Amino acid sequence: MASTPRVVVVGGGSTGVGVTRDLAMRGLDVVLVEQGNLTHGTTGRMHGLLHSGGRYAVSDQKSARECIEENRVLRDIAAHCVEMTGGLFVKRPEDTEEYFEQKLRGCEECGIPAEVLSGREAREREPHLATDVEKAIAVPDGAVDPFRLVVANAGSAMEHGARIETHAKVRDLIVEDGEVVGVDVEHGAKPGERVHGVQSGREEIRADHVVNATGAWAGRIGDMAGLDVEVRPSKGVMTIMNVRQVDTVINRCRPKGDADIVVPHETTAILGTTDEEVEDPENYPEEQWEVDQMIDTLSELVPILSEARSIRSFWGVRPLYEPPETGTADPTDITRDYFLLDHEDRDGVPGMTSIVGGKFTTYRMMGEEIADHVCAIFGIDADCRTAEVPLPGSEDFQVLRDYMDEFGLRSPIGRRSVERLGSRAEEVLGTDAPNPVVCDCEGVTRAEMRDAIDQAGSDLNASRIRTRASMGNCQGGFCCHRMANELHPQYGEPVVRDSWDDLLQERWKGQRHALWGEQLSQAMLNYALQATTQNRDSDPANRDGSIAFDAFDGGPEAGAMADGGPTEASDGD
Amino acid sequence: MSDADRTDETTFDAGESGPDEAFEPVQVFPEAEEMDLRPGADSCYKCSTCDTNCPVAEVDDEFPGPKFQGPEQWRLKQTDEDYDVDDSVMKCSNCMRCDSSCPSDVPLSQMHNTARGEYVREQQSKTSVEYWRNRLLANYRTSAWLASYVPRLANAAMNFGPARWVMEKAMGVTSEREFPSFATETFREWWASRGGAEASRERARRARIERGLVAAADGGDGGDSRDGAADGDDGTDRKIAYFHGCYANYNTPEVGKALVRVFEQFGYEVVVPEQGCSGTPMFANGMLDDARRHAETNVPSLSALVEEGYDAVCSCTSCSMALRQEYPELFDYDGVDDVASNTYEAVEYLRINEDLSGALSGVEVEYPDLSYHAPCHARNQGLHRQAVELFRDLEGVTVTDVGDSCSGISGTYGWKADRYDVSMAIGEEMFEHMEAAEGTTGLTECPTCAMQMEHGTGYEIRHPLQVLEAALVDA
Repeated sequence: MASTPRVVVVGGGSTGVGVTRDLAMRGLDVVLVEQGNLTHGTTGRMHGLLHSGGRYAVSDQKSARECIEENRVLRDIAAHCVEMTGGLFVKRPEDTEEYFEQKLRGCEECGIPAEVLSGREAREREPHLATDVEKAIAVPDGAVDPFRLVVANAGSAMEHGARIETHAKVRDLIVEDGEVVGVDVEHGAKPGERVHGVQSGREEIRADHVVNATGAWAGRIGDMAGLDVEVRPSKGVMTIMNVRQVDTVINRCRPKGDADIVVPHETTAILGTTDEEVEDPENYPEEQWEVDQMIDTLSELVPILSEARSIRSFWGVRPLYEPPETGTADPTDITRDYFLLDHEDRDGVPGMTSIVGGKFTTYRMMGEEIADHVCAIFGIDADCRTAEVPLPGSEDFQVLRDYMDEFGLRSPIGRRSVERLGSRAEEVLGTDAPNPVVCDCEGVTRAEMRDAIDQAGSDLNASRIRTRASMGNCQGGFCCHRMANELHPQYGEPVVRDSWDDLLQERWKGQRHALWGEQLSQAMLNYALQATTQNRDSDPANRDGSIAFDAFDGGPEAGAMADGGPTEASDGD
Repeated sequence: MSDADRTDETTFDAGESGPDEAFEPVQVFPEAEEMDLRPGADSCYKCSTCDTNCPVAEVDDEFPGPKFQGPEQWRLKQTDEDYDVDDSVMKCSNCMRCDSSCPSDVPLSQMHNTARGEYVREQQSKTSVEYWRNRLLANYRTSAWLASYVPRLANAAMNFGPARWVMEKAMGVTSEREFPSFATETFREWWASRGGAEASRERARRARIERGLVAAADGGDGGDSRDGAADGDDGTDRKIAYFHGCYANYNTPEVGKALVRVFEQFGYEVVVPEQGCSGTPMFANGMLDDARRHAETNVPSLSALVEEGYDAVCSCTSCSMALRQEYPELFDYDGVDDVASNTYEAVEYLRINEDLSGALSGVEVEYPDLSYHAPCHARNQGLHRQAVELFRDLEGVTVTDVGDSCSGISGTYGWKADRYDVSMAIGEEMFEHMEAAEGTTGLTECPTCAMQMEHGTGYEIRHPLQVLEAALVDA
């Protein structure tokens, strides 16, 4: 080939950024297009588990082996996104001994370090475990922040010359002579960072190869070229607790079932999940009973969950895939393995590859396999380096000891900031300017917020996922307006207003399924604040037409005011 | 009951064992700091009412306020034991106003106490001046105990100019304040010389006869008056254990004496059990081990009496606060809940159990007009209006409430050279209101509020029990 091959990757989730980073590091010219924010799809709607592989050690040993391998890689290259909490598979009296033994054996067979704990030992580690938990298997599960990981991958890809376009929806695939030669995208804003209200049109991006990494949406992209990609989207609910009831990942040790995992995640704990096939990955019912049932079931493992505050719930769709004719009835039985579909081999349509199935923990491995495949097509001989080169933020990341003195921040705020920013902490927080806290719940300062805005443009939801601002227990009640304020003066009033609206809508969305107890009080307070102090219930500025200021009177006379007002005048003596 | 003898004092020795080796506390949580505070973090919906009620935050812009110190910091640092507690927690004065202001029942002061305890244990240098200054102030009882052997010498020495200069420079104890003087006879010495519990039982018995609660022949000698008790109150269940705390013992025995006389007047038998410091100054300085050691004396001593039917009564509102709220929040001993639910402030106790207003009606007292300041800890127990309500109709004295501000001293807080200015800035409102009120004598239940009132205005300060004594007890 005369010039560097250009590859368009569709999908800004973990798989998409993984393959984009890999190809860019191998020297290819890569463009990633994503219809929403990074992590807009399934990646942003997962429970944040860094699998040890233990969950698949009985049913799917290939996946289990991949998980433990990638678990080790990510601890290394993405240290600032990962918290090695450890995990437990706990056995209740009604769970079978036989399965417990199978799980233990499975872990050994897959090379997953596993240790049996008595019920008492397990409760020593996690005091809130139910008293009738009989025993447990300890495995190296961890927690991973999917947002931070994806943003870091995208950042690394950009450093290697990739172009990342968010809010760029693929309208069509360009197919010429039976070959996919590019994508037709519609930009929600001008190319580059998102700026609200900036109109931008369609763009045809020609490509030597297109990678369809759209997960649950892969079927839709396939349809555009008349290809049949049989993704079976399956929804699952997750509920976020206000605080961590456990500091270790708690899995139920039984073959399969809903509501069997609690993952400590940053300041919160995430409960998961259910598994139910849906038709449309964007339009499916989110029902309260799913949340209620999950909390009830998980309370069997961690009883205080039934009385603890939950701050929101969300649903994600798994991009499950199985080869045609497999015909598995129950979605929980569909393999979690991933499949690379070379449409030239499979359908006789060259120019595009789809990647389907798989899971977050193995995103890098999937990226490597696609990158190998794409390089093979172009005869490029370049080694994959994504398993060795740390992501931005994880280079030489050592926990700094004295953040407070270093950055003038209060101790837990400095510490949190540094954990989020990793090796970028000094660059971001080392400011001489005033650096107040913007989000109190998560300890996010102005400097970190401004850094996120530099990366994400006017899209406050994109800054939110970078910083966790507005993701704590008030769910943005006390900080959305402060976050919006940070957009000014870089962005004008209409842009700020639109972005603020987007953020508020997104924050309220997830709270709909947590409106009882403390979070109901919180929501009522938030509503009152946003309505009465910020006009968010009915902002005159959003109304059509101008305000009839003439209708207001001129106010009290200046002279009357100077006399001290009518009340005092009347009872003066 | 060990009555009047001086009890063995614990010293500054950081050793773990309490004065009573036989007592083995049941500790579910090995350290108080490990108590589960998740419900507190869950209950906070960030409304900031606590911050707007915090007297320290009002005058000190560097202080982040109770919301941060409590639920916010707890939630941010919960993930990892390596997390440090922010040093600003030492600027909290432990006035506990945040507790009563919270609309959502967040246990703010418990969260502050545990965070402060953790800060002192894990982060504060044990060789720093600040640590030893705080330790010295928090263990006021020990200094007072030593001084009580040589009260006149101590009074002279403690307010000796050059000595105070050295204390400020070397220890960070402000030289602006005058040390309270030590009584030449402690309350316990007086109590012993008066005949202790035996004499009190006899006085109470006579008072009951005088009040017609029991026939003279029947005696009502406490133990076995079963036949006489058939128709209800013969007064033999009138018995209280007086927790005098340190200040009424060493500095203002007149308050303790007033309590004894007033209660005996109502036919109450008083005992003065073995006791240490309530722990209030220790909580406020994060010295939880010291507080625990004293609690290991107080809880068994008082719970044994509670089992015998005594109620614990305090003359200091911070002592009653500690026994009622902080003990059960921070310690998990046998009997701690029984003690907490049977502890009262003295005037509160009489208002609940006796017709105190009735007793005062028609009485005329010769007393100076009073400017009353309600201590924050009285406020937390719902007692901030009782003195004003009680004395409203008492002839001969006018009591003016000087408002709901904090006095600013908060025990040991205002004694620290680096917090003195903040303490006085907080107290400014109270001083102004006292100046504006008619009376030039102060009234309050709290000994350190009294110090601040005196320091800011030069007024002499009395305790409500002293007013009751003047009104009800025959000279």
